[in-house]
Amino acid sequence: MAATVVSVDRNVKPGVGPILLGLWITLGNFMKSLFLRRASTIQFPEQKRNISGRYRGIHVLTEREDGTPKCVACFMCATVCPAECIYIESGERPEATIEKYPTRFEIDLLRCVYCGFCVDACPEEAIIMSRENDLVGTTRAELIIDRERLMARNKLVEHGPGYRPSDHDVRRPVRIAALERLKSEYGIVPGPPRA
Amino acid sequence: MPRCRIDGRDIDVPSGTTVLEAALDHGIHIQYFCWHPDLPVDGNCRTCMIEVEKMPKLQIACNTVITDGMVVRTDSDKARDAQRTALEFILINHPIDCPVCDQAGECYLQDNYMRYGLYDAKVELEEKVRKRKVVDLGPIMLDAERCVLCSRCIRFEAVVTGTNSFEFVNRGDHTEIATFENRPITHDYAGNLADVCPVGALLSHDFRFKMRVWFLKSHESVCPGCSTGCNVFVDERDGEVQRLRPRRNAEVNKSWLCDPGRALYKEIGVTGRLSGARVRGAGDGTTVGAALDLVAVKLKEAGAASAFLASPQGTNEDLHAFKTLAEAVGGKLDFRVGEPHLKVRERIDHVLQRADRNPNTQGCLDLGLDRDGVGAILDACRAGKVRVLVLQGPELLRVPEAVDAVAKAAFVVVMATHEGAELDRAHCVLPAALWAEVDGTFTNYQRRVQRVRAAVPAPGDARPRWELAAGTLERLGKPLGATSAREIFMLLSGVTPDYGGLDYRAIGAQGRALPLAGGTGARAQEARA
Repeated sequence: MAATVVSVDRNVKPGVGPILLGLWITLGNFMKSLFLRRASTIQFPEQKRNISGRYRGIHVLTEREDGTPKCVACFMCATVCPAECIYIESGERPEATIEKYPTRFEIDLLRCVYCGFCVDACPEEAIIMSRENDLVGTTRAELIIDRERLMARNKLVEHGPGYRPSDHDVRRPVRIAALERLKSEYGIVPGPPRA
Repeated sequence: MPRCRIDGRDIDVPSGTTVLEAALDHGIHIQYFCWHPDLPVDGNCRTCMIEVEKMPKLQIACNTVITDGMVVRTDSDKARDAQRTALEFILINHPIDCPVCDQAGECYLQDNYMRYGLYDAKVELEEKVRKRKVVDLGPIMLDAERCVLCSRCIRFEAVVTGTNSFEFVNRGDHTEIATFENRPITHDYAGNLADVCPVGALLSHDFRFKMRVWFLKSHESVCPGCSTGCNVFVDERDGEVQRLRPRRNAEVNKSWLCDPGRALYKEIGVTGRLSGARVRGAGDGTTVGAALDLVAVKLKEAGAASAFLASPQGTNEDLHAFKTLAEAVGGKLDFRVGEPHLKVRERIDHVLQRADRNPNTQGCLDLGLDRDGVGAILDACRAGKVRVLVLQGPELLRVPEAVDAVAKAAFVVVMATHEGAELDRAHCVLPAALWAEVDGTFTNYQRRVQRVRAAVPAPGDARPRWELAAGTLERLGKPLGATSAREIFMLLSGVTPDYGGLDYRAIGAQGRALPLAGGTGARAQEARA
């Protein structure tokens, strides 16, 4: 099959006309942002864009009620990962009901392509994504994040959860993170809920 | 020979063949759980249902012997429906904990469900009958919930090992397998229980939670644990061997492998591997090339005042290169440290294991390495007639009676795979690759020549023993004339009786048996007599 060829008119008349037209558009935008405050840019990082609730940012490992990872080390995420950035080692849990858990769980955030396949593949809803996207580090090793850092995600409160199967899975990490932030920033330790 | 028709295909089979065997041989898949090629037919899982013309009811394929003119349908609506129903029945109480089950990826339930099931489950997870999980039976972990009650383990224990450890207990949907008082499995063939189990009910303790099987690459090889030469798969991921698994060879090991053999993968990736050459007196950083230069110089000086001891741990290719080296120098040659040739065919149990713990003693005999006698070589050492002693393996250095004789030799060269205190007795240590890191052939006790394949890279500078011998030969100005194991085997088959005409293609996956009474070895002469 022959490819469809779209012809483009390259014979635009040279001269001052097109240049002036371009300058006119620029001037229009300049005036808009100067007097009408309708700028297309924002003051990052003070200002942040409103990101979709399904944004695929840095991963979060969710946990059970007792604080252990929900992950059972089935390796589905590591298997499906197209960037091969997930490294897991599994071990045995003492209680017979769950048996298996990850002794190591590392994600190389520099290799990750943030496709969200790991979230889709997870049978336990143990890995979800946050809306955090400002990834900064001074070394490569810093951006290979381990199980503990994947679970303790204080920044989750600030950024909010991203791509995930259901809201129910983020409640607990968000709540823990919120409590920690209350304590560290405001020195408030909430007591038991009032009846 | 009866001729039958399965799914519209005319198939000739030897008499006595069952429908299942014939179908599997001809690429027609029928699901099964309880049938196993090396265990007696039990016919209890009822999943291999087929429709046979002129028979009023569906039959099980595994126990229906083909008669002439039989017309079988494995894919008719009636057969398919029965297969799906039988599978659903087996899966009723299955816990579906595939995420934490090591069998996932090589599980008959998973495979058969995707191929024959695909129904919607009618039983909720909460309503399923709960059974015992994580029962530690020593080398084996039992999970009774996952069991499909196929009785393969029971038959294995009854027929192969004769230990009868397993039995069914309880009735109805509370039936489960158990050992008496949960006693652990103590025999040497426990690993096979995990292999015969089609599901995740019996799993290897050693492999537990280690690796998901779909990450593994399998390489066909041969177990180096004894002279039986069981066929194995070396399962490896990223150059690290994760397990050994039996590979079926009806003539050698059937579908079995002993636990000591299975454990041999552990010696591959350990920290004590030799990864570089070492010369006494020289500093660190001696390259293998420099060490071989030195060996060549010493051998040239010594000439006939040298002795060579081959190792039955080496492949035939290693042995041939070593023998060529010994003949080029003109030194004494033998291999029988600890007299392995007397134990080649001696069994130490009734299943697989043999007393000779070397994989290639028969190869040594076939290549005619039993020449001067180890005793004579040691005597010559003691008399000061051996100036250079070349050892293809460290076996001799471990023999206490040989210490004084070895100490008399002016220059001792040893090829070794692992570090050890005994290596300090040698003046030059050359790093050798292990069986899982080399291509080559072993000849087992039956005189069956079988291929081993390089599954993982050798550590550091370690190389196959034939390469070390070939390097020395080249430095002596008498090159071997071969640069790969395959080429050496061509040289070898040209000069070794009975090996003529053999090559790697002819050996194939299942090996090639040579006449037992052939060969020039002492044992072979005995067999002839």
